[in-house]
Amino acid sequence: MGIVTVLWEKWVEFRRDFYKITVAAMISPLMYLIIFGLGIRTTSHGEPYIHFLVPGLVAMVTMTGSFGAIAQSMSVQRLYEKALDQVMVSPTTLWQFILGQIVGGSLRGLYAACVILVLTIPVRHGLIFNGLSFFIMLLNGAVFATLALVLSFLAKTYSDAPRFNTYIIMPMSFLCNTFFSTEEMPDGFRQIIEILPLSQASGMIRSIAGGDAPGITGFIVLAAWLAVLGSISVFFIYRKKNL
Amino acid sequence: MIELRGLTKKFGDFTAVDGLSFEIQTGEFFGLLGPNGAGKTTTISMLSTVLLPSSGEIYIDGNKLTRAASEQKRKLAVITQEYSMRQDMTMDEVMEYQGRLYYMPRKQIKERSQQLLDFAGLSDYHRRTVRHLSGGMKRKLMICRALLIEPEILLLDEPTAGMDALSRRQMWNLLKQVNNRDMTILLTTHYIEEAETLCDRVAMINQGRLQKLDSPRTLIDELGAFTVDETDTDGLTSRHFSDREEAIRYLEHTAHDSTLRQTTLEDVFIDCAGRKL
Repeated sequence: MGIVTVLWEKWVEFRRDFYKITVAAMISPLMYLIIFGLGIRTTSHGEPYIHFLVPGLVAMVTMTGSFGAIAQSMSVQRLYEKALDQVMVSPTTLWQFILGQIVGGSLRGLYAACVILVLTIPVRHGLIFNGLSFFIMLLNGAVFATLALVLSFLAKTYSDAPRFNTYIIMPMSFLCNTFFSTEEMPDGFRQIIEILPLSQASGMIRSIAGGDAPGITGFIVLAAWLAVLGSISVFFIYRKKNL
Repeated sequence: MIELRGLTKKFGDFTAVDGLSFEIQTGEFFGLLGPNGAGKTTTISMLSTVLLPSSGEIYIDGNKLTRAASEQKRKLAVITQEYSMRQDMTMDEVMEYQGRLYYMPRKQIKERSQQLLDFAGLSDYHRRTVRHLSGGMKRKLMICRALLIEPEILLLDEPTAGMDALSRRQMWNLLKQVNNRDMTILLTTHYIEEAETLCDRVAMINQGRLQKLDSPRTLIDELGAFTVDETDTDGLTSRHFSDREEAIRYLEHTAHDSTLRQTTLEDVFIDCAGRKL
């Protein structure tokens, strides 16, 4: 029931800011597509580079869409509007509130991915996006929505939210299997990057797009991230002394 | 009944609330008074579970209040000092969100919202977003939102802060009306006159500690029901007398500009806070 309330709140937000959300989801992936996919024409593993790029971008926007939807909204609600107080005092079960935020954030990431999938129809001939791809997008979005929740609870000022983007999301966007394969990275660094959720999501979506089955490792890594971050966010909402 | 047992809140080395213990009876209109930084808002924040106590407990009808205590929280509504609402929602959405958070059926949410917004004179603006409302309208909306769920306990943190005199009077009348329905009300306020008019009992706190607790009348009588204000070169000083004749005798013999008046709760507050400041 609490989950439905949060999803309703997210729907109100989405309905009101539909155009802003849609345009924001398109801008940077579109730039990357134009610059790396169409401007600098090259090949990767014998395929047009755009075939490598599109699955990576799809995974990336599920991350940015989900993270942005929750980090921004929760930071504002907690630190500026104090609207989280309304939730805390209410009888709504707090783990359901957390779950609602994760599902809502994940759906926003999926929406951003769908926008990119529509935009890239003319250039992604032969790439496969099936039910499993969408499940991975949702799972990746859930991980980053949960990360956004944890960071929002840790934020001390309203301006911390954009900083999280700079310190975490932007480096991941570039390093985690979006624009180039992690295989080419030096040992040690490569292992660290590969354990990050976006690397796994990109790899799995790319495998499916190329007609291969994704390995189980990616699912395990994403599920582990989700479990750890989810536990931290539930711990924070029940136990953090000063929310 | 609300019961605070040794409630303490520390922020690092600073103790905002220090071992606060008192009870608020069901249906009581209870005031929590204190100077700025006394710990009033921190106490309300612990009652609304936004802050967790460093030590001590809060009990609602004998059950410990925690963040997981949905049954206890169902009885509570809070009107905070700040406009704690989604600024990008319309009035209708704010009300619906509140109703949903308290598991109210949608039909009931719609009906009661309409009644409350009508009552508060806000119905014409029900589609306006919160950020486009005046301060007074936001305050009224917060009251409508709190009353929507028909709480048994209403926590009010300076609900009339920034309101003009007329709006404040309207708010007092409204609060009296809801208190008459057996709702327990905890009010923090800077306006001592407000507490004197509305509250059955008041607790005065300073530096997080309880200083006095009783009915406004008893606190006034303890200090002395009559006050002589004297103005001299050092400024204004007040002397309190329990007997009117005694106050008049003092007045006749003083060499300074002096006036006799009845003691108010504000005198008790100044006496209490002034000694500690």
